[in-house]
Amino acid sequence: MKVMLTGLSYKTAPVEVRERLAFAESALGEALSNLRSQGGAEEALILSTCNRVEVAIATNGEINLDQVLGIIAQSRGIDAVWLRPYLYTFRDEEAIRHLFRVAASLDSMVLGEPQILGQLKAAYSAAKEHGSLTNFLDSVLTRAFTVAKRVRSETDIGRSAVSVSYAAIELAKQIFGQLSSKKVLLVGAGKMSELAARHLHRAGCEQILVTNRTRARAEEMAALVGGHVIDYDTFHTRLPEMDIVITSSGAPDYLLKKDEMKQVLKKRQNRPIFLIDIAVPRNIDPAVNDIENIYLYDIDDLGREVEENRKARQREADQAELIIDEEIARLLERMKAREVAPTIVSLQHRFEEMGRLEFERVRGKLGPLSPQQEEVLAAYTRGLLNKIAHGPLTEIRRAAAQPEGDRVLTLIRRMFRLEDS
Amino acid sequence: MPDMSLFWLRVAAFLYAAGLVHAFLTVLRRGSRFFPYALGAFHVAVVLHFVSFVEHSVELRHLAANNFYETASLCALIFAVVYLFVEWRYHFAILSIFIFPLVSLLTLIAAMGAPMSSWEDSRVRNAWLITHILLVLVGYAGLLLSAGAAVFYLLQERRLKRKHGSEDFIAMVTPDRLPPLETLDTLITRSMSVGFVAVTLAVVAGSSWASIEYGTRWISEAKIVVSLVTWGFYLLMVFLRISAGWRGRKAAVLSLTVLGFAVITWAAHVGLRPLLAR
Repeated sequence: MKVMLTGLSYKTAPVEVRERLAFAESALGEALSNLRSQGGAEEALILSTCNRVEVAIATNGEINLDQVLGIIAQSRGIDAVWLRPYLYTFRDEEAIRHLFRVAASLDSMVLGEPQILGQLKAAYSAAKEHGSLTNFLDSVLTRAFTVAKRVRSETDIGRSAVSVSYAAIELAKQIFGQLSSKKVLLVGAGKMSELAARHLHRAGCEQILVTNRTRARAEEMAALVGGHVIDYDTFHTRLPEMDIVITSSGAPDYLLKKDEMKQVLKKRQNRPIFLIDIAVPRNIDPAVNDIENIYLYDIDDLGREVEENRKARQREADQAELIIDEEIARLLERMKAREVAPTIVSLQHRFEEMGRLEFERVRGKLGPLSPQQEEVLAAYTRGLLNKIAHGPLTEIRRAAAQPEGDRVLTLIRRMFRLEDS
Repeated sequence: MPDMSLFWLRVAAFLYAAGLVHAFLTVLRRGSRFFPYALGAFHVAVVLHFVSFVEHSVELRHLAANNFYETASLCALIFAVVYLFVEWRYHFAILSIFIFPLVSLLTLIAAMGAPMSSWEDSRVRNAWLITHILLVLVGYAGLLLSAGAAVFYLLQERRLKRKHGSEDFIAMVTPDRLPPLETLDTLITRSMSVGFVAVTLAVVAGSSWASIEYGTRWISEAKIVVSLVTWGFYLLMVFLRISAGWRGRKAAVLSLTVLGFAVITWAAHVGLRPLLAR
């Protein structure tokens, strides 16, 4: 069985190209059946996301890349020649490796992001629905899902936050553990603090308060994150009840200073406070971080956090590549085993045939035999042939797992004249 | 009647113990409704304590502050009176967590100044000692847990404070995933509270055992002094934590300090085993 994968991704093509090649779900069915009827594919899969469009096909015959490209280009109404420079193509082992890497999110823009697996599963279901996954490619994809799961559970690739707003939530969890009972104050209603507040809301934070110089904007934001508005002029008096404060206001001077925060901390019996200052210029005096039990992170701190996490993900990705190597080797071994199956069957047929002919010949010479005698003779022939067959059959199975197995296979086929049968 | 002053002192010690119960409840449950009763008992105890002191002084014809027991008694009485004044003037109820156990224990020790009857049954003696040892072990376990959590707290706190980019040795040996600060802080508090209650009871059991065993000599034993100092630090830690909100790094450091004292106490007690075999 031959496999080929061709396509483009954010690595090779700008968004203007990707968007032109992207497949709507409704267009998938026709393209898949064209690939099978005109492209020589026995099985086909189309994966189309905002970061990549890829086509995988499997067949026992020959694959003509131009033909496949022609079909894809035609179905999207674009010129195949125009598409060519952006494309990459992998065959057989490399194609399977690419599928595994995509599934495990090793080829994603954000390493380890979890969406791609869902998208691949959706593509798989669509292809399955249109009857274009029946045999080998189906099993490769099923394996790819298992590989993705292994990578996720055996490495930490998806663990640490790689966006600024999510990094803030991760830090909050490292301080407080459970966030559901924590009180959050948003000072200023910027885009970034909205994002952080949404994450907090999703993480179970139920008490989110918003304050802003213009009240209308605060109300808008409070509605978005399920919070309440408090007065901008009096928010300082409410600080002692807050566990997490996110500032993103356009104030030119520091809104929160060291002395005030010392008092706030005293009032809350030194229970820790997490301050996230994403404003530029900063809203909180950096010296506040010197106070015990107050943790202040500004936008650069969060940026560095994300950078560290990215590096950590890269290290985990190296680990994941090893898992993929291992899985590829396992799959190839099984493929080889599948390849030798016909040889085994024909060798068995050959021996059975030989046994039958010899039995007939000898029986004719012995004259009439009792059923018991006939049984003994048949058993003798079978036993003899099985013993002779045992050696070559074992060798074939062993050869299947080895890279030089083809030579052994050819030799055995020639020895037993299997080509003729 | 030489025994009368001692009798009043013992009753006072008993009443002060109500304050100890209040302290336990506050430490374990983060609040106690028992305070009014404990304070009432404390008032009565102070009066009786005073009566005992005056009677004893009259008997001696000078101020009863001659030996260790008399000094302890006077000390406890002064603490108690000062506390009552502070409470009356400033309503500083939380101070009771510190004063009640302190006065209670000092008075108990003072009440052991007169030699008590010796053991009626050696089984009681041994059971008593084993109870003391078990309580100490529970106390140590609590302290050890609290100190372990404190180490992790300090590491996690340091990491969060320094943020990324600290590539020193400690950053390298710090495990990647530590429990959240608040979880560790709760663990420190809880194990510390349970440990405190166990250690206090152990000190009470231990000192009363020792006073029966050795008569009045027991207080001069170095290991007993060390235990009492350890207990004092434990009390201070619990008090600071509850009253001043000493949490986080300070609490963690304190808990490690108390563990250090506990180790010294343990070392001082290693020679205890042969006593049991007697």
